[in-house]
Amino acid sequence: MATLDLLSISKSFGAAKVLHDISLAINDKEFVVFVGPSGCGKSTLLRIIAGLEESTSGQIMIGGDDVSDAHPVDRGISMVFQSYALYPHLSVYENIAFPLRVQKLSQQDMDTRVQRAADILQLTDKLQLKPGQLSGGQRQRVAIGRSIVRNPKIFLFDEPLSNLDAALRGDMRVELSQLHRSLDATMVYVTHDQVEAMTMADRIVVLNGGRVEQFGTPMELYHHPKTKFVASFIGQPNMNLVPATVTGADATGLGVELPGGCQMTLPVEARTVAVGDKVEVGMRPEHVHLGKAGLEINVNVLERLGGVSITYGTAADGTRFCASLPGDARIDEGAPITLGAAPEDCHVFDKSGDVLRRRSAPALVA
Amino acid sequence: MMDRYSKLQMVGIYFAITIFLIFILLPFFEMFMASLRPLEHLFRSPYQFWSDDFSFQAYRDMWVTVPLLGRYILNSIFIAGMVTGLTMIFVIPAAYAYARLEFPFKNLTLGIFLGVNMFTGAVLLIPLYRVLRTMGLLNTYWSMIVPGVAFLIPTGIWLLRSYLEKIPRELEEAAFVDGASRMYTLRRVVLPLAVPGLIVVGVAVFIGAYAQQFLFAITFNQQRELQPLPAGLFEFIGYQDVTWNQMMAAALVGVLPVMIIFLFLQKYLVAGLTAGAVKE
Repeated sequence: MATLDLLSISKSFGAAKVLHDISLAINDKEFVVFVGPSGCGKSTLLRIIAGLEESTSGQIMIGGDDVSDAHPVDRGISMVFQSYALYPHLSVYENIAFPLRVQKLSQQDMDTRVQRAADILQLTDKLQLKPGQLSGGQRQRVAIGRSIVRNPKIFLFDEPLSNLDAALRGDMRVELSQLHRSLDATMVYVTHDQVEAMTMADRIVVLNGGRVEQFGTPMELYHHPKTKFVASFIGQPNMNLVPATVTGADATGLGVELPGGCQMTLPVEARTVAVGDKVEVGMRPEHVHLGKAGLEINVNVLERLGGVSITYGTAADGTRFCASLPGDARIDEGAPITLGAAPEDCHVFDKSGDVLRRRSAPALVA
Repeated sequence: MMDRYSKLQMVGIYFAITIFLIFILLPFFEMFMASLRPLEHLFRSPYQFWSDDFSFQAYRDMWVTVPLLGRYILNSIFIAGMVTGLTMIFVIPAAYAYARLEFPFKNLTLGIFLGVNMFTGAVLLIPLYRVLRTMGLLNTYWSMIVPGVAFLIPTGIWLLRSYLEKIPRELEEAAFVDGASRMYTLRRVVLPLAVPGLIVVGVAVFIGAYAQQFLFAITFNQQRELQPLPAGLFEFIGYQDVTWNQMMAAALVGVLPVMIIFLFLQKYLVAGLTAGAVKE
């Protein structure tokens, strides 16, 4: 097992620059998820780590060794592909044994290793079948099996769950987390699904437009997003961003006026903004509650899920707003409601999208 | 329902199929009919479609009229088989390279291959004759095999390349990540998956080789023992008369083995030509 360090990796396809100077230090035995919208360069970055793609500049270090020019096998990585990439003409056994056949391992060695992988992944009774005879989840496990027989230092996963249906995805998520624990390996996982990122990762890399927006634990990203992009990307439903005007900045915090005239004093570092500046106040739907004074919105759509009622509405100035309210909240579609939020739960972003640091944020969950 | 037709449409469809099949099969049927009757019946006037004394006599006599007939049939299959085998040896790595590797002049050379295809062998007969004479290959099997291979490689590359391109790249990447070399990947992953495509290309090349051997045989080969069937059939044209019935019988017998093989490969042909058209 090993650490993985990326030192200012850049990648261009012709004139298009898809990765800008990315540096990351990933610890031994860590489960790191690259997350971001499609086209953010997360898969390209993974392929560069795998050795399938060459970086235009920069270095890759695995376990302290520079492997920038090494073959995937010499890097000690193995990869699980989005489409599983199983060989349809070979049995499950042969699929899992493929890397070992390449290494020309003895039949006995191979049997032991394939058996061990099959045990871990509950594929023992499926070894003689062809991939075509397996369900999606089983195929995924065969693909994982093929990656673990070689005992790699680092596992790379390229959106491995995106081909599965929702229920199975939930199960596989748990299985992958368990696998990470039992293998005790460094894993790098690419996904566009922030739920997968939040549930499985030790730390998350949020990528946007080929740049690292933020690298931190899930709770760090949730409570202390560094940018507006991270704030709106992490969390379900997405964070609301309400335009506001700065009315005052002092030691107690930042005074803002929301659309509709509601005044709030938010406990954030206010050094970079001045009175009269336009900012955006971020409120997570789950931190919003029905109140007497606050932001007035008109309810457009109400989704009652039982436990919660997801309420979609628009404020007076047309800003869309989403609130996650109690399941039995007395609200009706088409009627106006007044929503409030605790000042310490609010985030403030300046014009460039950077966050104003919160003073009274919840303690970090490690 | 997209595949539901009215009665009238069905009638139309079957009518069209019938016309098409008649057009294709009538020559074979006429060959068969001609082979069944005595020679003198063939020149009867008015022409009679049905004779009362059908027999398989011509199928017996033809081996006597042309004693080397069996040899000609085997030659035909041997030459076409050799051409197919050799062509595939060249085409497989070339098509894989064109499907997967990036190299300078890739598209230009592909275009040139297509251009070569537009020449028929006939245009190049005289230069080819000189080349083969210089190499001392005239009047050998090679004089019919070498030009055959040369003319079929471009077609083969074009056909197989498009098939190989449909094999998901991720499979090869997975093999690469697991440490497999290009050749190992080609042998263990790509070729087994390309079997339907290989059969399609093999069959296409075989048909091509079978069809073009006549031209090369009568130009580059004088040795009777080496002639393929299409050239050998000339021996049924005698000084006095042409034994049409025996010639037709010989032609049918000569084509028969190939037809039988095709009957068995038919399902691969259909599967191969449509494979990859729809995402599974």
